[in-house]
Parts: sequence; structure tokens; C-alpha cells
Amino acid sequence: MGEEITAIKADRIDTVTSGLIENGVIVIRGGKISAIGTDVKIPSTANIIDARDKTIFPGLVNPCSVVGLSGSPGGEPASNPHYRVADELYPFQDAYRRILQAGFTTLALTPGGNGIAGQGAIVRPIGQTPEGMLITESGLLMIRFEANEKAKKVITDAFESAKKDSASTDPKVKPLVRALQGEIPTLVRCGWPGAALHLLPLLKPYEKMKWVLVAGPENYRIAEKLAKSKIPVIIPAQIDFEQFTRNRINVPKILAEAGVKIACVPIMDNAEGHEDFLRQMAELVKYGLDKETAKKSMTIHPAQMLALDYRLGSLEVGKDANLLILSADPFEVGTKIHQVMLEGKIVYQGP
Amino acid sequence: MHKHRTNFQFSICNFLAVLLLCCSASAAADEKMTAIKGGDLYTITSGIIKNGTILIKDGKISGIGQNIDVPKNAEVIDAKGKVVMPGLVAATTWLQGLRSSREISKIADSLDPFDFEVSLALASGVTTAFVTATSSPYRRVQSSGENPIGGTNAVIKMTYGDLDNMLVKEPVAENVSISNQQWLRKTNFLLSLRKAKDYLQKLAEYQKAKDKDKKLEEPKKPAELDPYIRLLGRQLPARVQAATADDILAALEIVDEFGIRIILEGGIEAWIVAQEIARRDVPLVITPRDKQEPRKDISGPSGSTMENAAILKKAGVRFAIVPQGPYFGIGGMAGRDLMVLPMEAAFAVSGGLDEQTALEAITLTAAEILGVADRVGSLQVGKDADIIILDGHPFHYRSFVELTLINGKMLYDKKQSTYFSHITHDN
Repeated sequence: MGEEITAIKADRIDTVTSGLIENGVIVIRGGKISAIGTDVKIPSTANIIDARDKTIFPGLVNPCSVVGLSGSPGGEPASNPHYRVADELYPFQDAYRRILQAGFTTLALTPGGNGIAGQGAIVRPIGQTPEGMLITESGLLMIRFEANEKAKKVITDAFESAKKDSASTDPKVKPLVRALQGEIPTLVRCGWPGAALHLLPLLKPYEKMKWVLVAGPENYRIAEKLAKSKIPVIIPAQIDFEQFTRNRINVPKILAEAGVKIACVPIMDNAEGHEDFLRQMAELVKYGLDKETAKKSMTIHPAQMLALDYRLGSLEVGKDANLLILSADPFEVGTKIHQVMLEGKIVYQGP
Repeated sequence: MHKHRTNFQFSICNFLAVLLLCCSASAAADEKMTAIKGGDLYTITSGIIKNGTILIKDGKISGIGQNIDVPKNAEVIDAKGKVVMPGLVAATTWLQGLRSSREISKIADSLDPFDFEVSLALASGVTTAFVTATSSPYRRVQSSGENPIGGTNAVIKMTYGDLDNMLVKEPVAENVSISNQQWLRKTNFLLSLRKAKDYLQKLAEYQKAKDKDKKLEEPKKPAELDPYIRLLGRQLPARVQAATADDILAALEIVDEFGIRIILEGGIEAWIVAQEIARRDVPLVITPRDKQEPRKDISGPSGSTMENAAILKKAGVRFAIVPQGPYFGIGGMAGRDLMVLPMEAAFAVSGGLDEQTALEAITLTAAEILGVADRVGSLQVGKDADIIILDGHPFHYRSFVELTLINGKMLYDKKQSTYFSHITHDN
């Protein structure tokens, strides 16, 4: 049996990374994009999806979520790098169905817990088995930071001892070594800008590591410092208020304009939040966030932060055929998601 | 509403401008000078210099007087008709500029230069403050129960947005809680001091004899005695809450027995034992408006008096002044919190204290008690350029802080403040 081939003919293909293709074709072989453009030959054996009048957009990527997980254990900062979200996945949760239908084809599920929380799993929000959800085996390392002597010590001690033990196969050490060598990204949650000022010098000695800051809205106050650090930032898609005032501030816009690479996530990390996400993003654009940056901040930027941009985050040859067939521009009110394609297969057939 | 919006835009622009300014200033090899010209300079140490000039270089005061040449390239702040004085020093506060959801073991690791209270402190003219790891001084000794000592503390500066220059010193004292009402704590405190003294004595004997007798064993340091050893070595003072005359006398007895340094907090009845306090040169942190009824069970004087500060001064006691609610807020105890620190000192003046001593009690004396007078508390060449400019006398109830500088950097400008810019004396 030969490879399954699909071709989508569409009025508009928004590649996100290389502009808009009008009246174009995407050819998909074995779940991957094999050709894209206006001058593409459609193989005779291809199943044709007619998407005239439609817009094709990459599947959305949420780089930091806890949906469907057991919740945060809280407590004192501790080092638990051996904890794996992959061990508690359960694909048949209704939230995942709704999130997939809202256009998300990739979720990074991250463990709770303070200090070094454990390994996150990068998943498809659909699957027949927990393993079937996993996009990669390796995932990411999750840290929750707060400005506290103990929290600092937990992080520094763990990495310093892992540095000296880089050949270790100990499940409590190995993930730290992989993070240290930059094999997996390290997400560090740090809500307040003051705490971020404590955090940045702490991260500096670990140059090989792929740091991503999961930040609270107040971090617009240190936009310049964050830009200088070159650490990308995950931020809620929220228009915030200046502290103790009703003055509205567009935090993603301030960060992006300062030169910070941003990924936006839903304000509420639940099914409803994901369903509202494109409206939230549209509001950021209305209040001044550059539209192209807004698109990147929900596709290619989070893919880059998860070190999966070779597979996800844009419509390019060689990448997974994760895409949305939309009735119009993703930010327009009333735009419908007609179909969600995941690795070449239609996983959601909408209205 | 429109006005507010404009102000906000200004404040964002200003914030970015300040950021840029900071970056470029620190990058430049020879830093630009700043001059504050034409104000009345309340130096604290050498009276009031009318129509004077202050020069600032590298964050420090480099010149002060009436006949100061201002370099051509200096940035000039016009202070004509204004009062220029050192930034205020709060000798006690409840949790300023800290943010951590759990126990803070080291303040340096939990400082938040973006804390809202830091920005209010700047607007209030308070540039330096004593902070403890817990919110209230009564819970300062973190381990509850019978332990009379513990918890860290520090002196910080209100360097909004700048973590690197926020901490001045940590710790600056031992937190001690030994009122007569907490008898077991006090007993434990005395026992531990004696144990520590014993250990130090044995250690000294051992060090004297160890060369002659190689078999001698070094005495073991008893667990948990480190703070007591620091007290006995006079490295740090003990901050002791003592409101009543009997608590104060009890604390003074400890000074006599062990020769430790203490700072008394509260001191409502200090006026009754002023001579005893003066004899041992023990400083106080007092609140002139604190009220306490005279006690019926005591023969002789008791209770509070408005003249407390004046009587202490006459006896030669050094003191800092703090308000009843030593925190910054836009709700709560308006008029009795740190938003109006000079008002508390003004009440001491209405109780008979001279103005100069009252000013010292919220600047230089407070800095001395905190152990940071080498850097802050007065307008003197060589000190940190922590300076506030007011539109009137600090003790006048209508006076506002207009500008606040820390380390020579302008961190507050009333004209651009979201909260205060709309308040003028014309309304």
C-alpha cells in the first residue's frame, strides 16, 4: 500500500513564516507537508480537499498548560526532576476534545510543584493511549521559581551536582543533564518582575540551556532587561491594568516591541480559555500588538520555545501537516474552524 | 479621566526614559554631574543653608554650600523656594519591598524593587527603611513559643525597579522578644546568654592554654547560640520591644549584666526612666502619639505623655521616631502611617521637642540606630545622594514631596505621579 496523499486547494494559505500564499495548494504525504505553493503539481492519487474561499492556518501551539493534570502539589520548593507528566496522561478527557476543536494541535503539559517540578510532556490533545498523545519522548524540564533563599538554593544545588555527574543514568539526574546540555528546553515560571530580577542572574551561568520564562503580566516593567537576556517569554494573552489603576496596558505588545520573543497562552488555562483564545489574541491586536507577531506568538514562537520548530508551528515543506481550515482570517469575529488536521488526518470536522 | 490617561502615558514614557537614562549613565565612563540649585538645604548636620547648591557625582554628594560652582555640563534641578533635605529614614516598618509566599530566611533573596509600597515610599520621601522578614514586629521572632530570638532583618533603600542597589545591610540587629509578659522567653534568653558567655570564656581559656597543653580539647559550641555570641561580641545590637517602665528597666539590667548593645522599641513610658536609659546610652524607637492610660496598680508615674520625646532629649537619650502604622498604603491608617512620617515627628515638637532633634529622629539618628549613618541621614559631602525636595516645611501638614532622588537618580517626580500629580495647593 502506498503512502496516503492529500492535497488542499485553498484561496489563502497563511504560512506564518513565509507570508500569505493566495490560490495555493498544500500537498501532504505520510502526515507531512511535501509541497506548498501556487505552482504545485497535484499527484493523481491524491485525495483532494477543496478549500476555496477558505484560509489555511498552522495548528495552534500552547507551550505551557496544566489542563487535565492532577494539579499542583504546592509545598516547599524541592527538586523532583524524575517526576514525569507522561506517566499521568489520560487522553479521554473532554477538555482535550474541546481544546483540539479550538484549533490547538500541540500542548506542552507541565507539572505543578515548586522548585524543580519535573518533566513536562509535549502532546497532541487526542490519542487512543497515553503514549499515543506524546509528540516526543523527551519533553521539557519545568521549574517554578519564587524569590526566596531556599528556592534559589534548590535550583542551583540541583544543576551544580548534575554538572559533575553528566554520565549519570539516575532518573533524578538525567533530566537535569539533558536540560543542562540544551537537549530539552527548560521552562521557568516566575510571576513577578522583582522575582525575575532575582532569577536572571541565577540562569546566566547555564549558557547551553534553552531557557523559557513563563511570566506574569507585571513583567512588562522589565521588558528591556528581558530583551537583553534573549530569553523568550510565555505570557497570557491579556490586556492588563497598571497596578492599582484602571489604566489598560497591552503587556504582550510592550514585550514584543522591546524585542522579546513572546508566545501567548490563554488567560484561563482550561477548555473555555482555549476556546476564547483567538478572541483574546484579536483584542491584543486591536490594542496595538503587531498582527504578524500575534500570529507567530501562537504558532512558530511556541514551537521554537519547545525546540520543535523543525516539525511544528508553520506551514512549510517537511513539517507535520498540523493545520486549521478557517472560514476567514483567524482574528475576524465569526471566523469558523471548519476542520482541524493533525499530521495529515482530519481530526475535527466542524460546521 | 482624560487627564489620567495622559498622565499614565507620561509615566510610561518617563519610565522608559529613566530606564534609558540609567543604562546610558552606567555605560558612560565619566558620569554626568547633577546640581540641585536655589533651595533651602536642611543639612541636619550643619543647620539650614539658604539658597544653597548641592552637587552630585557618582551617586554621592560631592559639594554643598552657597558658593558652589556648577559645572557647565551638569544637569540642573531648580529648587528655588523649595526645601531640600536628606531622604527620610524609617527605623521600623512592617514588610516593605519583600515578596515571597513562604518564610523568608534571607531578605536579600526576596526583595521586590517593584513592590507597590516601594513606589509609595518614594512619594512619601522615605528612602531608607528597616525591614524584617515577617510583617509585624510582634511576630518578628519567627519561631513561636518559647524561643525569644530569631528571624532576619535588613536595611533597604527604595530603589524602585533596581534590585542591585536595594539592599544596604543584612542583618543589622538580632530580633528579640522578651517582655515581662512572656516570662519563659525572657528566662530562656537569659539562660542562653549565660551559656554563650560561658562558652566564650572557655574558648578564651582554651586558646590561651592550647600551645602549652596539646591534649586540651577545644570546647564545643552549643547549638543555636550563634545569635547570642554575636550579641555578646557586640557585633549586632538586639532590638527589644519594651513599652512600659518595668520592661525597659528589665532590658537595661540585661545590658548591665552582659554588656550587649540594645535598641528599645516602643518606649511609651521611657520618660519615667529617661535618666536610666541615658546612663547606658541605649537608643530608642518611639511613637509620640502612642497613648497608654496611667496604671492604677502602680505608685508613682505611669502611662504615656506627649512630652515623652522632649523629656528623653533633655536627659540625653537618642531616639528615632516612627508612626503607629509603620507601612505605606493608600488605605488604612491615613495620617498615622509612613506616608506622613514627618507628621509623627511634628507631634513630638508639639510635645516640647526642638525641631532640629525631631528632624534628626526621622533622618540621621534613625540612620545611626540602624548602623547606616556612614551612608545616609544627612546632606554631607561623601554621603549617598538620597535627597528629597519638598514644597514646604517638612512639619507643615500641607507639604508635599515633589522630587525624590536615591543614589543621585531621580526616582519620583510628583508631576508625573499617577496618584499625586493632580493635587495642587490651588484647589
